[in-house]
Amino acid sequence: MRRRHFIAAAATSVLAAPALIRAASSAELVRMRELYNADGSFSDFAMANDGKAVQLEGFMAPPLKAESAFFVLTKIPMSVCPFCDSAADWPRDIVSIYARDIISVTPFNVPIAVGGTLRLGDYTDQELGFVSRVRVTEAEHWRV
Amino acid sequence: MNRVARILLAGVSAFGMSFPVLSQDIVQSDSVWYTDADAKLQAMIATQPNTGKAKNVILFVADGQGVGTNYAVRLFAGQLEGKLGEEHVLPYEEYPYTALIKTYNINAQTPDSAPTAGAMNSGVKQVFNTINLSEDGRHDNCASEEGNKVTLFSEIVSESGKSVGVVSTARATHATPAAVYAKTANRNWEATAPEGCTDIAIQAIEAMEAGTLDVLLGGGARNFVPTGVKTVHDGDSSRKDDLDLVARAEAAGAHFVSDLAGLEAAEAGAPMLGLFTNSDMSYETERPETEPSVADMTVAAIKAMEGNEDGFYLMVEGGRVDHANHAGNANRAFMDGVAFAEAVARADEMTNDEDTLIIVTADHEHAIAFNGYCGRGTPITGLCMGVNSDGVEHTGEPMLADDGKPYSVVGYLNGAGSVLTEQADGSYFGTRPTVTQEEALDVDYLQQALIPMGGETHSGEDVASWAKGPWAHLLSGTQEQNYIFHVMNHAVSAE
Repeated sequence: MRRRHFIAAAATSVLAAPALIRAASSAELVRMRELYNADGSFSDFAMANDGKAVQLEGFMAPPLKAESAFFVLTKIPMSVCPFCDSAADWPRDIVSIYARDIISVTPFNVPIAVGGTLRLGDYTDQELGFVSRVRVTEAEHWRV
Repeated sequence: MNRVARILLAGVSAFGMSFPVLSQDIVQSDSVWYTDADAKLQAMIATQPNTGKAKNVILFVADGQGVGTNYAVRLFAGQLEGKLGEEHVLPYEEYPYTALIKTYNINAQTPDSAPTAGAMNSGVKQVFNTINLSEDGRHDNCASEEGNKVTLFSEIVSESGKSVGVVSTARATHATPAAVYAKTANRNWEATAPEGCTDIAIQAIEAMEAGTLDVLLGGGARNFVPTGVKTVHDGDSSRKDDLDLVARAEAAGAHFVSDLAGLEAAEAGAPMLGLFTNSDMSYETERPETEPSVADMTVAAIKAMEGNEDGFYLMVEGGRVDHANHAGNANRAFMDGVAFAEAVARADEMTNDEDTLIIVTADHEHAIAFNGYCGRGTPITGLCMGVNSDGVEHTGEPMLADDGKPYSVVGYLNGAGSVLTEQADGSYFGTRPTVTQEEALDVDYLQQALIPMGGETHSGEDVASWAKGPWAHLLSGTQEQNYIFHVMNHAVSAE
């Protein structure tokens, strides 16, 4: 009985955090494909929100390393982290996420939302060498 | 002999006498279902086997599109045209001869795309993950290639003066296209191979130099440029040597193209290397306008080779039906199946049934399955809608399972869409998410699956083959996959 109470309390606190984030941001939850035009260029939505708060839907690719604040958000579940060594190869279905804190890992096929600041433009991660065209920084994520 | 003759006579008389009598007595004989089926019967009776010599052979392979996936592509294509879907007929489903094909490999109940394509190109079953080695070949064992390389259909027909072409929406060095021209102990040796063995990209160019491969169109440009050199699509090389394979192809007389405009401008009758993307080409769902479709490539390949009076052998692969099925994403799989069907139709228009054998098949099926009981016209990528007992089209109300939740028509037995997800303690547990029709019809939706796996698997279930042209009638019944080679080889050598 005590254990059940503990689990219930834990669940409540986990749920409370995203509620706060959502309340703090007026951003609408969007799919990452809304960041791109059909020809692969950035959409008007992406251009208009560069540097602003956004919330994206997607999935967490298995993190490249443990105890990291970095992960890749994928459009559909991908069981291996997409490897990109050049911005030209950057697929449209992933976004780099730089979280505020060490991330809690979510299984690759569980839908999540990410809230944070949208950053456009080529960027090479100093530590991982991972090249990205789109990032969400100061990010937090939660299950949807 | 007498008995056979009597049976034959009885059959003739029964047919000759019964038709007018039956049509008067059968009350449903005015039904469109009845008259359509009767018209089909007359067409089948009139069908005569073509025992001429095949000048051209076109082998179409929809990777991962077995009987089940093909069924879904049929409905998807019909529904795109505004039909209910079930009544739709894909272009090749009109062909007079159909067979079921057994796809297993020598050592695998569930096949992979390398030995299956190899079987069709060599006439013998092969070992899992190898291409065009005899049964003594060993996967990933370079030394086992020695003395075990088989003779290919492309080599046989080149000897008799035919041109050879390969089209794929996967990488040009991927398993299915490679099976036309390469022999390797490991299908993954696309751009590098152990000492003593030759990678698949080099083998492609060696085949072009030897004249056993004249047209190669697909993705995978990274595998053809020297290490450290960017591809024409600004991608990094996958090679670890200084070989410029594009330059070698050009030196061998091939015209190099890298986009749709270049492909369409290519001179007819000339050898051609087309590498349109760095890796696999785009799914049809999001293919850029500058990138050719599988139909565009098929047309270009035929134009390049049709001037050869000795004819040609063309293998066309719809390579990404398989990839989308692996992702558990039915929508993209079926759209690539539609694009593949369009390629078949275009090739059919450009060739003559009298002298061109066309075979449409798949290399293997996937762990895809279909729920019931869905009403007529239920969108094949969407939720299973109820059967309308008071009309034809479905009720528009999703069927509910015992858990009170709707379910999509398509499901996968395993894959990323698994309803069982990893828990904090490493165990797998789950319940089916509630899915709306809007979510299910979304292009990115993953149909629910059972067994949790990163990628959905192939299955060993049969695929079909549809054939027309010289000796196509030999492709009926239930056949081993390697039998396809024997039909093609007979068709080109018949006197």
